[in-house]
Amino acid sequence: MRKKTFAAAALLAAATLTLSACGNGGDDKSPIAVVSEESGSAKAATLLDQPFEKPDLVLTDTHGVKYDLRKETAGRPTLVYFGYTHCPDICPLTMNNIAVAKKALPKAEQDALRIVFVTTDPDRDTPTELGKWLKGIDPQFIGLTGDFSTIQAGARTLGISIEPTTKDKNGKLVSVHGTQVVAFSPKSDEGYLLYGEDATVDDFAKDLPKIIKGANP
Amino acid sequence: MKRLAVPAAVIAGALALAGCGGSGDTKAEVSVSSSYMPQPVSADLAAGFLTIVNKGSTQDELTSVSSDAAGSVTMHDTVGGAMEQVSSFAVPAHGQLVFKSGGNHLMFEKLKRKPKQGDMVTVKLEFAKSGAVTVEMPVKSATYTPSTGH
Repeated sequence: MRKKTFAAAALLAAATLTLSACGNGGDDKSPIAVVSEESGSAKAATLLDQPFEKPDLVLTDTHGVKYDLRKETAGRPTLVYFGYTHCPDICPLTMNNIAVAKKALPKAEQDALRIVFVTTDPDRDTPTELGKWLKGIDPQFIGLTGDFSTIQAGARTLGISIEPTTKDKNGKLVSVHGTQVVAFSPKSDEGYLLYGEDATVDDFAKDLPKIIKGANP
Repeated sequence: MKRLAVPAAVIAGALALAGCGGSGDTKAEVSVSSSYMPQPVSADLAAGFLTIVNKGSTQDELTSVSSDAAGSVTMHDTVGGAMEQVSSFAVPAHGQLVFKSGGNHLMFEKLKRKPKQGDMVTVKLEFAKSGAVTVEMPVKSATYTPSTGH
């Protein structure tokens, strides 16, 4: 009897395994998105209990001029993203999402905002290349390039892990982008909000007016 | 012989049902939907997304992608913020292959001109079993996502 029960259980388990193995065949690994769907009013932003200090980054801007991130963005609402221009998908999407949301703000607020794109691929993203690319998205965006190890160390202080550009087996260059946008408060100059890759135009449009005041969305 | 093949197919179908729920069709049968290209920043580089559904009971394989609008089209998957070029993708039987933002994507390089929202880009997909499938891929806004539809 016990044996039979066991056999039945094993069969059931096998059937379950078969079922889950079939799935929809799609490579749909998005447990986080599912959670936010269920909660309905989920916020795109993660409010940090332990805010990040602004990284002490001194790099080169798209005009080839030295740019001290802490000094230049002190007291300004600031969004920082680490990406590269040879990125077809997430980097332009993220920057365009912010650009479209920004355009809905009154002009004074647009001017107050600092959107900083720090390249993770400084060899290819020279000041000129970076400037050309960002101009196609929003001419007010700031692009920074420089020594990779400096950029990597800065990203690391924000919990963002990036790796140097490498060559794949076909000899193509492969770079890595960060997966978060960090928002810094104009009041504390601390990074207090994180946005993941699934943050939309609407998310940024809703939150930017709050970020400009250093308030929580 | 033909008559014998029918019950065999039924049995095969039943077996497939027990496994995955099959139709008994023994061929790959691919169709493409939800394709789009977000308007790129420049003509250097663009991404493309689509869903390939295989209604057949045999796995197919996407082996290459090309377009007259671009110098090259390559297939990539994304692993932890880095993309990896892939030479082919399986399209499972009774399953689908999804290219979507943040995951698998097509990468168009050296486009003849910068695609603008409202344009159509002709894309040719080559499958190992189903042969060539041509898709008219609409160019959407730079911030388009299928979930919001804008």
